[in-house]
Amino acid sequence: MASKTSPRAPRRVAVLGGNRIPFARAHGTYAKASNQDMLTASIDGLVARYGLAGERLGEVVAGAVLKHSRDFNLTRETVLGTRLDPTTPAYDIQQACGTGLEAAILVANKIALGQIDAGIAGGVDSASDAPIAVNEGLRQTLLAANRARSAADRAKALAGLRPSHLVPAIPENVEPRTGLSMGEHMALTAAQWGITREAQDELAAASHQKLAAAYERGFQDDLVTPYLGVARDNNLRPDSSVEKLAKLKPVFGKGEGATMTAGNSTPLTDGASAVLLASEEWAEEHRLTPLAWFVDAETAAVDYVHGDEGLLMAPAYAVPRLLARNGLSLQDFDYYEIHEAFAATVLTTLKAWEDPDFCKGRLGLDAPLGSIDRSKLNVNGSSLAAGHPFAATGGRIIASLAKQLKEAGGGRGLISICAAGGQGVVAILEA
Amino acid sequence: MTKEITLEGPPDLRRIYATAALRRGRSGDTLPDVRVSRAGVRVDLDDLVAYSHVCRFPVDGTLPVTYAHLLAFPLQMSVMSDDRFPLPLMGAVHVENRIEVVRPVTTDEVLDVAVRAEGLRPHRRGRQVDLVSEVEVRGELVWRGVSTYLSRGQEHPDATASEPPSQEALESVTAGPLWRLGEGTGREYAAVSGDWNPIHVHALTARPLGFPTAIAHGMYSYARALASLGPRLPEGGLSSRVWFRKPVRLPSTVRLRTAFETRRTLSVLENAKGQVEHAVVENTW
Repeated sequence: MASKTSPRAPRRVAVLGGNRIPFARAHGTYAKASNQDMLTASIDGLVARYGLAGERLGEVVAGAVLKHSRDFNLTRETVLGTRLDPTTPAYDIQQACGTGLEAAILVANKIALGQIDAGIAGGVDSASDAPIAVNEGLRQTLLAANRARSAADRAKALAGLRPSHLVPAIPENVEPRTGLSMGEHMALTAAQWGITREAQDELAAASHQKLAAAYERGFQDDLVTPYLGVARDNNLRPDSSVEKLAKLKPVFGKGEGATMTAGNSTPLTDGASAVLLASEEWAEEHRLTPLAWFVDAETAAVDYVHGDEGLLMAPAYAVPRLLARNGLSLQDFDYYEIHEAFAATVLTTLKAWEDPDFCKGRLGLDAPLGSIDRSKLNVNGSSLAAGHPFAATGGRIIASLAKQLKEAGGGRGLISICAAGGQGVVAILEA
Repeated sequence: MTKEITLEGPPDLRRIYATAALRRGRSGDTLPDVRVSRAGVRVDLDDLVAYSHVCRFPVDGTLPVTYAHLLAFPLQMSVMSDDRFPLPLMGAVHVENRIEVVRPVTTDEVLDVAVRAEGLRPHRRGRQVDLVSEVEVRGELVWRGVSTYLSRGQEHPDATASEPPSQEALESVTAGPLWRLGEGTGREYAAVSGDWNPIHVHALTARPLGFPTAIAHGMYSYARALASLGPRLPEGGLSSRVWFRKPVRLPSTVRLRTAFETRRTLSVLENAKGQVEHAVVENTW
């Protein structure tokens, strides 16, 4: 009898680089480009930058939040249109705004376990080229007609058609279980935590200024490839200021206490991103220098349906679990990348970690996680400036943080991304 | 001396077709020395995306191999509708096309497009002529296309014609993508290419011109073949050639079979049963 195989020790996973197309506000330049187009452009840019043409990778994992039913195999179809070896396997995932980071976790875990040596994690979303489905009544009628065995039965089924069936079903940005949009949910949480308008506008203005500075110093040059004539994220307003943002009217929340505006919330955006992950050995063989190591990750979810917790609060739960597992404190980081779904999301998360009651009552900690050095937060700008094509945000953040860690000559970074459905995906990178 | 005609915008193809339909009986043995050009052409992104989706090219920020043909095509029609052009435009059959992609062209580059006619010569079934299209970016040649059109007429049994390469390499290739082309395929491509030649639009408009059904645009079949080979072809330094054989009658189910060699692909597009050869495509680099 052959001897039993023994488990292999996990390996370090390197972030070798990333590529994305500039993000564009919805119904603008990329309005007619499909998810497959944008993901292809983003992966092909990565292939060109890291010499991967004709290379068979372990896998490509990506996804889109707003996806057409015809795109059931979006990532594999995309791979077949790129310059990667067509024998590279691929699959789709979807975890709302956590999609991109979750894709990286999946690829990283397979590399760590020795199941694959290298892979690409990505994400894409088009809020412009959104799927529109037929009305549910029409769908049921057509299905009934299709099931009918005789012409008479078919005619009977089709007789059920009503003018109202012509109204298409358009995807809505609301939580199915609460009927509230993400912004409305966030407005409730922001009010509960007393997040001020001024603090939100300050964070938003800083995001624009920092992303603009990142472009100015050439930091984005090897992270972004121009696409369809767009060279920079076109939501970016380098001259954004607290004064200008203060003039905007609130769009979420009600009455006097409404603080959330179009300026301190992310707009609907189109775009795609991709990140190259690999084992140390693979990186060496391909003469690529790791930017950072993908250390660990954690996902959490909260029950927001009946208002027990805020919809976007899950990262606040995921982070302490990740810290405990790695023996770290919240202050043991050189950079914090907290996805700016809304300025209020970032501020609420930080406030929750400072709050003794929340940390004890909700997180079960003896002491609060404490505050962070705000100068280490989103140092190259984040989603408020760049925009947020849901599934593409994870890849944008990983590549940008990995490069920042490399530039700084080493350090540790925390990524925190909130997602619809009350979920949160967080990760640690080190260089 | 070459007569230079510079167009400010794309010529109106519908008008060219309408005028050509009324004018018959061209003759003459010499080509007018005319060069039609358009400078400073910018690619319309909506048009590009629509074209790419119909032909299945990814919208990746560079122009599909065949896209410049679309920009040159109206200029070709303009050359061929010239009063002194010896062959009639209507009924001209696209028999062959060559494309050289010197380097990939990005969607934001500003293009100068010029077209002239060359090589009026006999063909077994009439006479043929080459429409040579060149695309430059600030004086640098980036793309060159040669479209050969046949005008049926007096037969020249001894005329030599360009023949596609031997299909020996394809003998062992049994599989390949199958395309179900619907009756409306010609209209779909016409909408994105501007080529509303009646032979492609509908059986009713094709019949007076001698076709029992509408036929697919040759450049559509060619574009789809190139899109399907896509990532296996280099982005620059590519020579691509297509010989159009029997037209694809719509609707139709066709298959593309390809042999892949070092620095060369050879494909044949044929009907699903393999009895009718529609096109042969060769790429080298």
